[in-house]
Amino acid sequence: MLTFVRFLFAFTIGSHILLVSTSIALILLISISEFLSIRSHDPVYEALARRLSKVFVISFGIGTASGIVMAVELVGLFPSFMTLVASTGAMVLLYAEVSAFFLEVLALVLYVYYWNSFRDRYSHWAVSLFVVAGTLLSAVFITMVNAWMNTPNGFDVSAFVSSGFKTIAGIEPFAAFLTVSTVSQVFHVLVTTIFAGTMVIGAYFAYWFVKSRDAGEKAMYSRALKVLGAIAIITVIIAGISGSEEMGSLLVNQPLKYAALDGNTVPGTNLPDRFFGSVVNGSYVGGISIPGMQALLARFETGTTNLPGLSQFPANTWPPLLVSTTFNLMTVGGLVLGLFMLVFFVSFIRKRRPYESRRLLYLWIPAAVLAMLVYQLGWATDEIGRQPWIVYNVMTVAQAANTSDALIIPGIIVILFYLAVVPTAFYFYSRVFQKSEKVALK
Amino acid sequence: MNGIFEVNYAAFSVFAALLITEIMGAVGLLIAWPSRSKVLDYIVPVWEVTGTFGAFWVVTGDFAYPALLVPVSAIFTPLLIVFLILWVARGASISFAEFITKRGWLDEAKLFKTYAVSTIVLGLVVLVLLSALVGGQGVSLASGSFSILSWTTAGSVVFIIGTLLLAVGFAPVFFDLSALRPLVLPLAGLGVALSVISYWLMSPALITPWMAVPILLTLAAGSLYAWPRTSRVVTNKAVFLIVLSIIIFSLQSLVYPKAIGQALPIDAVTTSGPMAGAFFSMTVLGSSLLALMLALYVMVAARGPNGPDL
Repeated sequence: MLTFVRFLFAFTIGSHILLVSTSIALILLISISEFLSIRSHDPVYEALARRLSKVFVISFGIGTASGIVMAVELVGLFPSFMTLVASTGAMVLLYAEVSAFFLEVLALVLYVYYWNSFRDRYSHWAVSLFVVAGTLLSAVFITMVNAWMNTPNGFDVSAFVSSGFKTIAGIEPFAAFLTVSTVSQVFHVLVTTIFAGTMVIGAYFAYWFVKSRDAGEKAMYSRALKVLGAIAIITVIIAGISGSEEMGSLLVNQPLKYAALDGNTVPGTNLPDRFFGSVVNGSYVGGISIPGMQALLARFETGTTNLPGLSQFPANTWPPLLVSTTFNLMTVGGLVLGLFMLVFFVSFIRKRRPYESRRLLYLWIPAAVLAMLVYQLGWATDEIGRQPWIVYNVMTVAQAANTSDALIIPGIIVILFYLAVVPTAFYFYSRVFQKSEKVALK
Repeated sequence: MNGIFEVNYAAFSVFAALLITEIMGAVGLLIAWPSRSKVLDYIVPVWEVTGTFGAFWVVTGDFAYPALLVPVSAIFTPLLIVFLILWVARGASISFAEFITKRGWLDEAKLFKTYAVSTIVLGLVVLVLLSALVGGQGVSLASGSFSILSWTTAGSVVFIIGTLLLAVGFAPVFFDLSALRPLVLPLAGLGVALSVISYWLMSPALITPWMAVPILLTLAAGSLYAWPRTSRVVTNKAVFLIVLSIIIFSLQSLVYPKAIGQALPIDAVTTSGPMAGAFFSMTVLGSSLLALMLALYVMVAARGPNGPDL
């Protein structure tokens, strides 16, 4: 039953972040497009913003519903965890997230449904910034909760554990806003979320740019790809830097997770970076090794940093070593995407208009699939790497979970429902965008 | 006086008021599709706000009653999952319906009707949940379970019928369907009477002098609509929503100081200490932001020539 509970929540959150990442990329594209339309008096950008705003309403509606599913599901599936959350500062973060949500929803209603009521176009564009702020802050606060799960603070952990989860003392409600891992994790999650969503939305425009014969529509897709290309280049560079920062944070704050990710069976300095091998009888075998690379990536130096190894920790606290593979896939996938965006960037500075290059646009589509895969793998790596804990060194998933058999049938219905809702949502995004008023070029 | 309970209950009151008006609209969509524009003018911009207040209620509830999460999970999870499925169905169908253009068998009418059915059934699920929270019907705190068979008592069934009568009775007021004006006061009166009877059937202790407040407010709203000259007051949607929220808020004696059939003392399970302080600080911050955004909304909506761009 525990496996089912894990799977159910993993499936739900995996579907949810797919919707959310595209939603974040959409609102960024809408806001930038409207700004460009005002600045350059370009009707194509305005049409793009207007058409996408309809898509965003659908995306927001489904994302909101899915977010509420997650909020209630957390209580149903992991009640002891939510009791701890509700008794400590993590709850303050969830409350802050709802406030951000208010900002987003009210700004969105104004932005979309009262577009024509604004006489000053810049005032209308400013409302889109509230939507962007609300959307990004929601993502920031929820990532802060995850950072708190990785490095919990703001309460007396030893009193809580030794009392059998009964005594929650020494509560500092606002400490959860800044745990030791918050900055690096929020930084990395935010940029990778934007990158993944940008790539997915870009793939849609890439496909239609290549397929369309309508000059007005092609002009619109080209402009969208120009903006998305710029966002993707910026975010993929930051994702590389923030990923390195994140590893540096793990090295200090979650050494066991670090050791499992890098497949370090024993501690040491100057350890190699290893890819796609496995741990057999306490040794890492097979795969590729790059000497001295680990400390270079995590600390920008070689030879002096003490790197942790699995042997320093009791074997029953190790996460599943599969996490090393998910981490390697994520890293290599990220490198491939970085190379793709480098080609795009070089083409851009050589004025080759990469956002209209059929060859690059054909490549964008598999790159988007890879980007979403890498994004999901990143999330899986974070979660698997924390196992068996739901709150690191405080509460295990088994201790937190509701293992009632009554969850099976409703749980299966939720899974089937998501299987239907996610593809339907993307189908409708496309249909609504395509059926909106076309651009007529003079 | 329990300030944390009051904040959480206030969030619930606004959420419930918004949901009830959506249910009224949903009924309208099902039975009077040709005159849908009056309903859609309201529902289309507002359904997302309802969802946000729903999330606000859930999160403030988690914050307010941490000790209840484990029992609530054990008792209500299957019911909550049904609620969630309907919630996603409602959100998905209306957001698709807003922008769909006809193609094949799927069209705007079918999607809006799917939204309407999901919202009405969702309302029924919420009413089952509420009647259990009020009267404790179907809930076994000892075994941590909920049984729909044990829930089916005279009290809970009459509770649902009474609430539905009120919702149907006030739909003409909210959407200003003057042809149905004569039905409003009789239906409202019957709804109030059945609701009070249901509380008494659940537990005579639920009938307190405070009950006079929602009864008088409800009957006053129905009476105001009976005359064309005064009907403008209650047909104003903002006024109606505020009055409905106040009516629901004034029903708090049904669950405070004790809920679930007088078995659960609320004060004993409410968060306290530094978390209570954090709750209030965040509420002040969040409410200020909400007030600011609502003020902006009202300002822009009032300036718009023909309501929202639909």
